Amino acid sequence: MNLSDTGRTKPVIEGMGYQWTDNEDEAQLLGILACSVRQKAIDKVYNRIHKWNRAKNKKNLLTFVTGCILPADREKFLKLFDIVFPMSELQELPDMIRQNGIVTPVSLNPENRNEELVFRNERIEQLKRSAASLKLNEHMSDFWQINPAYESDFEAFVPIQNGCDKFCTFCAVPYTRGREVSRPSAEILEELKNLVEQDYKSITLLGQNVNSYGLDKKGEEVSFPELLRQIGEYGKISGKEFWVYFTSPHPRDMTDQVIEVIAQYDCLAKQIHLPVQSGDDKVLIRMNRKHNMEKYRHIVHTIRKLIPQATLFTDIIVGFTGETDEQFASTRRIMEEFKYNMAYIAQYSVRPGATSSRWDDDVPKEVKKQRYHTLTEDLMKTSHEHNKKMVGKTFRVLVRGKERKGEFLSGLTEGKINVRIPSLDTNMIGQIVDVKITQATEFSVAGELVKQPELQSA
Amino acid sequence: METITHNKYTVKEIRDLTPSTYVVRLERNDMKFMPGQNLNLGLSGDTEKRDYSIYSRKNEEFLEILVKEVEDGLVSKKLKRMKPGDTLEVDGPFGFFTIKEENRYAKKFLFIASGTGIAPFHSITGSFPEINYTLIHGIRELNEAYEKEHYPEGKYISCVSQEDGGDFRGRVTDYIKQHPVDNETICYLCGNVNMIYDVFDILKEQGVPSENLHAEVYF
Repeated sequence: MNLSDTGRTKPVIEGMGYQWTDNEDEAQLLGILACSVRQKAIDKVYNRIHKWNRAKNKKNLLTFVTGCILPADREKFLKLFDIVFPMSELQELPDMIRQNGIVTPVSLNPENRNEELVFRNERIEQLKRSAASLKLNEHMSDFWQINPAYESDFEAFVPIQNGCDKFCTFCAVPYTRGREVSRPSAEILEELKNLVEQDYKSITLLGQNVNSYGLDKKGEEVSFPELLRQIGEYGKISGKEFWVYFTSPHPRDMTDQVIEVIAQYDCLAKQIHLPVQSGDDKVLIRMNRKHNMEKYRHIVHTIRKLIPQATLFTDIIVGFTGETDEQFASTRRIMEEFKYNMAYIAQYSVRPGATSSRWDDDVPKEVKKQRYHTLTEDLMKTSHEHNKKMVGKTFRVLVRGKERKGEFLSGLTEGKINVRIPSLDTNMIGQIVDVKITQATEFSVAGELVKQPELQSA
Repeated sequence: METITHNKYTVKEIRDLTPSTYVVRLERNDMKFMPGQNLNLGLSGDTEKRDYSIYSRKNEEFLEILVKEVEDGLVSKKLKRMKPGDTLEVDGPFGFFTIKEENRYAKKFLFIASGTGIAPFHSITGSFPEINYTLIHGIRELNEAYEKEHYPEGKYISCVSQEDGGDFRGRVTDYIKQHPVDNETICYLCGNVNMIYDVFDILKEQGVPSENLHAEVYF
C-alpha cells in the first residue's frame, strides 16, 4: 500500500516545482509516509524528525508526515512536524505548504500568487483537527484522482479501496487508515486501461480488504466480482497479454462469484492470496477474523474445483496471544491439507494500537521462533512438491530483472512462482516469455527460454 | 473545500445498574445500525477509544452502550464521569455479529453471554421480540443480571456462580452440559474469551456445527 501511496505523492510534490534529491542534507522539504504496522518503523519516524528539527537551526526546512498513523502518534507528530495530514488529503499538500509561508517554484506563477504567503490560522487549525480526526478517508476521492508516478514500467499497483472495517485484533489498520472506502469503478478501469495501453504486464488491485470492494456504497457501486468481470471483458478485447492480481482479500468476502469470474477470464491471474492467519477456530475467534475453518475450507475447495491450475498463497501468524501447542498443531494440519505454494509466516509481535496490544504477549519468543521454523519446514515440503511438478513444462514468465549474482534473469510465472533464467539479455525485462522449467527448489524454479520473443528496442 | 465533520454525540443520561456497571445513553444522530453491531468511541479529543456493543433497540430515539468500569481502564473510568450534555466521539456502527434476515423468524437461537457481553443480545431481542430464543447469562452475583425484567418470562436464564437465588447456580458451561443444545440451534456467544472457548468446545462436542456458532469476544 505504501508503494502505491508513494506513487501518488511524488507527482504532487513535483507538481509544486520541487526536484527530488537523494541527499537529505540538501533537501528543503522532507516528508515521511509512515507505517504503523510495527513499532520499529514509528520509532524511526521519531528519530528522523528529531534530527530534522535540529537541522532547522541551520537552514530553512519544512517537514511533513502522512500515511498510517495511530491517533496517539498523530497527536505527538502535530507538535514535531510542520504539517500532519491523512493520506486522503494529499492533494491539498501544496496549499498546506503555502500556508506555512513557503514560496514553491510553481506558486511563483502569477496565476497562483493570490493566496501566496497568506498564513491562515483557521485553516491550519482545521488541518490539525482533520489530522486528529478518525474520519481519515473523507477525501479519498481527491487522492485517487492524482496521476501516480509508477516505479516500474511493466508492473503497477492500482488502489481500489482504502481502510478496513474488519477490526482483526492483531491489526491497527482500522485505526490508522479509517473505514473502508471504495474508489469509483470508472476511475479504476480508466487507470487500468491506461496501464494496459502502455504495455504494463502485471497490475495488482490494492486494498486492505480488496474483496469487500463496493460494500460501503450500499448498491451504488459495482461489487468486487462485477469489477473483475468488467476488467476481464476489457482484457478480452484489448488484444494485450497482461495479468491482474488483487491483494489482500479477506476470506469473509471471498464469494464463489469471485472465484467463478477469475476462472472465466484469461487476464485475471490464476494466483490467489487467501490469508488464513491460523488453522484453529478458537484462535480465529480471538483474532476476531470473522471466518472459521469450515468457511475457509469451502473457499479452497471451490478454487481447486474451478481453477485447478491456480497457485495458493496465504498469511499465517504463529505465537498469537494465547496460542497453545494444540492450536498451533491445527495450523500445521491445514498447511498439510491446503498445500500452499507460498505462505508468509510471521511470528506474532505487538502492533501498537491494535486491540491485542492490550493483552499479555504470553507466548515466549523461543516458542514463536520454533513454531515459525516448524511451519516453514512444512511449507517447504509442499511448495517443493508443487515446484517439482512444473519441471518439464513450459510456462509464461514475466521477466522482472537481472539477478545480483551470476548470469541470470529472474521472473515470475502467472502464479507468482520465482523463475531463474540463464540469460543476460536485459531487453527481455518487462516482457512475458516462454520458459521450459528444468529444475525446482523449495521456493523457486529454473528454466530455459523456449524461444526469443520479438523484442522491442530499448 | 469540504468541512471536516467530527462524529460528536451528546450524552443524554448515565444510568447506574451496579456500582461498577452503567448504561450511557447518547443522542441517536440518525445512526442506522443492525442489532448486534458495535461502536468505537471515546471522549472528545482523547486518542484512547474502545469498542462497545450497542445495547439499545433498533427503533429507539437514542443509542445506549453498557459499560463495566475496568480497573486501570483508560476509557471506562472516564465514561463513568460523563454528564448529560458532554460529548463523545463515536465511530461506527461496525461488526457482523448480527442475525441474518432470512434466519430471523425461521430458526431457533441460543444466546450465551458473560457479564456485559449481554449487550448485543439486549439489542437483538428488544429489536426483534418475536424471534425464538433463549438467553443464558453467566454472572457472579445476582445484581449483575442487568435489567433482566426486559426479557419475557422463561427467555432469560441467569447462571450465577457465587450466589444462590438465580435461575441456575453455577457457570454457563455447567448449565449447557446439563441442558444439551440441539444441532439445529444457531448459537451466539459473547463475553470473555475463556467462557467462549469453553462453551465452544462443549457445543462442538454436542454436535453443533461450526456454521451455527458465532462468537464476539470482549476483552
